[in-house]
Amino acid sequence: MKKLNEADRLIRQIGAEFGLDFMEQEFEIVPARKMLEILAYRLPVNYSHWSFGRDFEIERTKYRHGFSVPYEVVFNSDPARAYLMETNPLPVQVLVMAHVYAHNDFMKKNSHFRITRRDMITSASEAAQRFRRYEEDYGREAVEKLIDAGMAIEWNIDPDELIRPETETEARDRLYGWSGNPPVESRFADLFEPGEDLPPEVKQKLRRKTPPEPTMDVLKYVMENSPVHSMEWEKDVLSTIRGQALYFLPYRRTKIMNEGWATFWHEKIMSRLFAIGFLSSDEHGYYNLYNARVKAHSPRSINPYLLGSALFRNIEMRWNTGRFGPRYESCVDDDEKRNWDLHLDKGTEKIMEVRRTHIDWFFIDEFLNREVVEELELYLYQESDGGSHIELKVEETGWEAIKQLMVQSLMNWGIPRILVVDGNFRNSSRLYLKHEFEGMPLDEEYCRKTLEHLYFLWGRPVYLETINPENSRSVIYSVDLEGSTGVVREE
Amino acid sequence: MGVLKPDYDSVSRGAGDAVRHREKIKEAIRKNLPDIISDEAIITKSGDQVVRVPVRGIKSYRFIHEHADGVGGGFGSGESEEGKVIGRRPKQGNGRPGRPGEEPGVDYLETEIELADLLEMMLDDIGLPNLRSKEIRESVITRGWKPDSIERHGILPRLEKKRTIKEAIKRVEVLVQILMQRSGMDEEQCRAALGGAEGDFDEALDRLLAAKNRQPARMDSAPSDLGGLAISSSDLRFRTIEEDAELRSNAVVIAMMDVSGSMDIMKKYLARSFYFWMTSFLRVIYKRVEIRFIAHTTEARLVDEYQFLHRGESGGTSCHSAYELATNLIDTEYPTSKWNVYPFHFSDGEDWDVERTFNSLSKMLERGVANFGYGEIQAEHSTSVLMEAYRRRIGLEEDRLGDLAFLRGSRAGSPVLGVIIRGKSDIYPALRVFLHSTELKSGGQNHA
Repeated sequence: MKKLNEADRLIRQIGAEFGLDFMEQEFEIVPARKMLEILAYRLPVNYSHWSFGRDFEIERTKYRHGFSVPYEVVFNSDPARAYLMETNPLPVQVLVMAHVYAHNDFMKKNSHFRITRRDMITSASEAAQRFRRYEEDYGREAVEKLIDAGMAIEWNIDPDELIRPETETEARDRLYGWSGNPPVESRFADLFEPGEDLPPEVKQKLRRKTPPEPTMDVLKYVMENSPVHSMEWEKDVLSTIRGQALYFLPYRRTKIMNEGWATFWHEKIMSRLFAIGFLSSDEHGYYNLYNARVKAHSPRSINPYLLGSALFRNIEMRWNTGRFGPRYESCVDDDEKRNWDLHLDKGTEKIMEVRRTHIDWFFIDEFLNREVVEELELYLYQESDGGSHIELKVEETGWEAIKQLMVQSLMNWGIPRILVVDGNFRNSSRLYLKHEFEGMPLDEEYCRKTLEHLYFLWGRPVYLETINPENSRSVIYSVDLEGSTGVVREE
Repeated sequence: MGVLKPDYDSVSRGAGDAVRHREKIKEAIRKNLPDIISDEAIITKSGDQVVRVPVRGIKSYRFIHEHADGVGGGFGSGESEEGKVIGRRPKQGNGRPGRPGEEPGVDYLETEIELADLLEMMLDDIGLPNLRSKEIRESVITRGWKPDSIERHGILPRLEKKRTIKEAIKRVEVLVQILMQRSGMDEEQCRAALGGAEGDFDEALDRLLAAKNRQPARMDSAPSDLGGLAISSSDLRFRTIEEDAELRSNAVVIAMMDVSGSMDIMKKYLARSFYFWMTSFLRVIYKRVEIRFIAHTTEARLVDEYQFLHRGESGGTSCHSAYELATNLIDTEYPTSKWNVYPFHFSDGEDWDVERTFNSLSKMLERGVANFGYGEIQAEHSTSVLMEAYRRRIGLEEDRLGDLAFLRGSRAGSPVLGVIIRGKSDIYPALRVFLHSTELKSGGQNHA
């Protein structure tokens, strides 16, 4: 314990020397069960739900069979709170602490983390108590059903809401310039002169239109406008789910960057700790073993620790040597390129900037290049019928194709972009949603079941328009009392 | 302060919600019983009390892209070249073509469940077969005596010492608390006073109050044998006993199965599957139910359960041989005056001598069996020989339970149920008909 406190002090000091910027940091060393629970519940204490129980069992099974050993979990709070597994041997615990400190810096500086609330740990624990009361007052089934439905659309939210929450009235003022200010950016801008007096019936029509413009915050829209679930506790449940999703959204959007950043820096900090003799050379073997495990290749998925740290290393090298910009890009001499070095030493500055401004989507789009794809031997695999088994076969190793698909998969934090277009469809309070098709079709079964949850939340028929990729025509799924399995109509 | 090692022994929330999750698995299983019980793996692994079953419907649904769960393809890293196989996974399901988007590999979550739990779910779903309440006569077999309940009165040899002392302690603790309140003395003094007064509350209170008034003198105490614990007559507890008896049903099931060559692997499987569940089911309900097994081709013989469920044969088909053997069995071992007899017969209906078979059946029915169940396993488009004959000659009428149409004897003296089975999905409905519909039968009940 004394040694860990010493490590804490040293890591802070070394990190600061490297230019990292930390919030206060707390560590709690916890037994396996607590750790697995935190992983499953997403937070140290959270409300009860069977899906967390299921995830707990999955985590426990993986842990018991040695498939995965969690080392740490860290929360974006102030002070930042990290949970460390008590079974980690000392050199690993130190590695994990260095890793956590780099996360701490990332959460403090990254613009997408900075805007989220930092009191989620207590907030979730309070929500857990309120939910327990709701279970007593309204029945466990009712609460569970609402959580089921809320969680089904938890990621259908709008991160801009964190920066600029807006009521419908405010949105109309912005769109039509009714507040006296000209509309900033609006699809109706060419229709109306700013401040122009519209005929009353047009104005009234625009006032009734809900939502004023299509919104991707489906959860918020349903929560605020559901014709059936409008009791305080129901709004609280949905609002809690949404609050947590908004809190976790930056984690989701920066998984590769955040883990890459932490891995990049823990390696630097650890080598310094070995250099100054804080850890012995005997412990170096341990460290190497665990560090290699953290950065292991993963045949069927992308290891964010590996990819992210390789990208930051690559960026650092390129900006140190000046391998960017039109002059470098247009150079065709391979030898010249290989030995290119302008001695700019802007590497650290550049990675600090990238960690401040980017999310994975733009990070991959801007920085994934041939060098890194080849260094890590990234590939795309496909499943095919191999007789008695399904075979997983490497399909593509070309860096451009891989990059293009990876960028596509990271768009919109990996979920389909679905917008509420009309909350009063056919003038009868029906809900009309539209999937913005970007080349990837929806999973039909998941889509139908999710619509059933939405139908429960909305209480009136729900429609979802998407594209049938086979003939590029519109398809509308609908859920109502009779056709709860979803009648598919083509229009 | 950086590093903390707090104490975590609070109640595990994870375990609690995991229980709820398992409840949901059970719900899902219950909804899919017909699929699950027709799973071949269950009956072929006999003796195994834990079975693995696929479950659906406990996934967290949300809007996702097709193949977002990694089915179909994804990214990886490491040594590779195009065309290299990096892994394999087993195919799921039984190869039935599913609708697009349905039943991808990870759709199923396999779980383990005890056979007994599965049977209990079936019981909940099907309901108790009516054999139990109305039809089964049960004989009482005396095995001696066993403890029954605890009473306040009884004879001294049956005094329950432990319970009596427990009661005394309970009572004394309450009295001590009241004494403390009323007298304002401390616990030790109250206990001692109560002991000194041999358990008499008023006496003890008097002593305490007196002692309080002549403070600070110590009060005398005379601890009793039980360290201040005096047993009052209201503490006494006695055992009662009752006759130890077991109910034994006198129902007998005679399971007959056609194992001839025309019964191909699938047909035999269907018949066996039915019998496996039926016998398992009956044994859950009745500790002892007699089940006799008759396998027949052109000849019939009594076999044991294992042979019945596992061994295949070949040859021609004469169902009358089975009915004759069953009738013989009824006459010699299970006279209907003492037994409720439930013969069942599964065949593909391709009988060589329908006339003789019908006559044998009539003889068996004349013995006064409680109910005869006939299951005919038909290939698609095949014409039924036996079922058709039974329908015409016994006068079976069509009836319906849920989705499954079945035939039922309409005349008195013809307690017959007939079910046509065409595939796995009919097994469960057939079980329902045979086990449940006995309540609906009219003729047999009057007759039996």
